[in-house]
Amino acid sequence: MRRALRRALGRPLRLGVLALAILGAPWVGRVIRSWPHRVAVEGRSMAPTLGAGDWLLVDPAAYRDHRPAVGDIVVAPDPREPARLLVKRVAVVGADGSVELRGDALDASTDSRAFGPLPSAAVMGRAWARYWPPRRVGLLR
Amino acid sequence: MSFTRVMDALKPRRTVHAHCDVPCGIYDPATAQLAARTVSRMVELIGAIGGTEVEDRNKFARCVAVKEQHAEQVKREVQVIWSDYFKPEHLTQFPELHDLTWKILKAAGKCKQSVDAAAAADLEMQVARFAEIFWTTKNAPVHSMKPSADGAPKNAIAWEVRAA
Repeated sequence: MRRALRRALGRPLRLGVLALAILGAPWVGRVIRSWPHRVAVEGRSMAPTLGAGDWLLVDPAAYRDHRPAVGDIVVAPDPREPARLLVKRVAVVGADGSVELRGDALDASTDSRAFGPLPSAAVMGRAWARYWPPRRVGLLR
Repeated sequence: MSFTRVMDALKPRRTVHAHCDVPCGIYDPATAQLAARTVSRMVELIGAIGGTEVEDRNKFARCVAVKEQHAEQVKREVQVIWSDYFKPEHLTQFPELHDLTWKILKAAGKCKQSVDAAAAADLEMQVARFAEIFWTTKNAPVHSMKPSADGAPKNAIAWEVRAA
């Protein structure tokens, strides 16, 4: 009985694990890399993309090989108060390697319009996925 | 493993700010609370007018006018916070919000029509509840006015601030 069950389940299970390993490998690595850098959002300046209480995964290695791109949602220290981390979207990438950040809610955001551009090296990582709340889980765009 | 322990394990340790220096709107229900208290005070003053001398009649007319204006101000201030400040998630958190707003507008109307201490006290109480909801949604300490029914004279305003 048990052997029959194992035989019945064995194949799809093994196939599933294999498929996960192949398809999911880069993605799994990204999650593992990001997990220690998960953050909670506070404030409304990224509405409607991000809301207060959203929990995000931040990939710290996203900009190891290339610069931030326009449209990326990034985490960077507030230049006026470096202990505070900001989450904003890259609006402009300058030829000199600087980035300008904006909140998605333009009329309710303090960003590079107020504090100017940041060196792209200051960007700490890319917020790429939301894992909480359950109804809003997914990749960030 | 309990749900809270799972949530603790999932919970981020750092906060990132989608920051804004200037709040998109500056709202404060204090003006509505003051106006509601003024209505109460006017009801009290009107009740205390004894005579029918010209002076008394002048005072009576003024008190009624002030009561009318401040009841209208309660309606205006509460309406603005209700329509401009509160968001759908606040309504989820406080399902009573629409009904409460409606009751405040009704209560203010009743205070205009009557010289009724109970109606004025009811208006104050409803506005206090509205303010409490407002401050709770802002995660800020609740600013409430000490009710005059608790012994404070209606013309002495005492604010109580307690943690959200």
